[in-house]
Amino acid sequence: VSSSQQPLAQILARNLLASIALPGLLVDEEGALVFFNGAAGELIGRRFEEVGQLSREEWAVRFGPFGQNGEPIALDSLPLALTIREGRPAQGRFSIRTTAEDVEIDVSALPLVGEDGFHGALVAFWRPGEDAGQSG
Amino acid sequence: VRVRLWGVRGSVPVAEERMLRYGGNTSCVEVTLSDGTEIILDAGTGIRGLGAARASRGDGVHVLLTHLHLDHIQGLLFFSPFFDAQAHVEVWGPPGATLDLRERLARYLSAPLSPIEIRELPSRVTFRSIPSGDWRIGNAHVTARLVLHRGTTLGYRITEGDVSLCYLPDHEPALGASLETQPSQWISGHELARGASLLIHDGQYTANEYAGRRGWGHSSIEDALAFAHRANPNHLILSHHDPLHDDEHLDALGDAARSRWESLGHPRANLELAAEGRIVQL
Repeated sequence: VSSSQQPLAQILARNLLASIALPGLLVDEEGALVFFNGAAGELIGRRFEEVGQLSREEWAVRFGPFGQNGEPIALDSLPLALTIREGRPAQGRFSIRTTAEDVEIDVSALPLVGEDGFHGALVAFWRPGEDAGQSG
Repeated sequence: VRVRLWGVRGSVPVAEERMLRYGGNTSCVEVTLSDGTEIILDAGTGIRGLGAARASRGDGVHVLLTHLHLDHIQGLLFFSPFFDAQAHVEVWGPPGATLDLRERLARYLSAPLSPIEIRELPSRVTFRSIPSGDWRIGNAHVTARLVLHRGTTLGYRITEGDVSLCYLPDHEPALGASLETQPSQWISGHELARGASLLIHDGQYTANEYAGRRGWGHSSIEDALAFAHRANPNHLILSHHDPLHDDEHLDALGDAARSRWESLGHPRANLELAAEGRIVQL
């Protein structure tokens, strides 16, 4: 059996994200983007099938993040980075670059800690002022 | 490698005569390696008959539990090697968040559910939690991986030489995913099952039944076939039969499943529904 099988915690998270209307993405233990759902795709203007899996650096180049004045934000200061680094939930607000414009989003990152260890994070995001799950 | 099915019923044992051709005992499969090493997959009520048929040999026996739902452990209390002072039983099973395997099994093997406590067993019993991993038992390479079912559940692959058995009796890989389009590495259990000589897989429900039981942790026969089609085993046995399905119903489900399997490009003869007492030589 090779190690190419994704951990069950990631499979469950992907299946959950694929089944809900709340924009969300999934990253692995290294912070690489391994999946985002249709609602997230609508928000950023690209479908996952077009974008595919991206390393942390690659998706930062494509989507940001940026501060309120458009300045780049260090990846290590993102809620997601905190979740990956410390294995705990984190929240934050910043902007991402979509195909149309820069969009401010609220983000919540949840660590995926399975019985067999840490497997990355599930990240939900939405536009401030909109009900979560209604922005997509 | 010899595989014998001792328990193929899901959820709860049944005793009605109209169900006994396929069998009424819950999950238990005996795997005998070429060197005689004995591995038992799950300890449903089928393990009672296995233990009774097994002569006291004073050697070791390995019991690999997929999970601790009652239909997979109910036979433990009636497994004769547990009461054989000469026997050494190694019980392997999934990890728990707070309690180890022995403590979790002790919830069943203790008052008020049981007259016997684990600490009273005369045999030498070792309990081992395995979140996932690879190890050797006798001549075989054993792989365990967490798979999609309610609660922490393992699937197993046992490989000796060029033959392999994959055991996924309680498995719902289609929950929230399309088994036709999902990339293989994102399908629960795929790596365990891929190219196995024999795949024993959950096929508890009809499609209609599954529609009302989504998320209960089991597969419809249609989903089991879709999963197996992606994994492409040489031989497929659908097991964990619903306790409401009698022999006549299972005959019809088997015929329909073989037709579907054939339409997917597989030999009709390579699919069967599990029946108690069935022996497959790999």
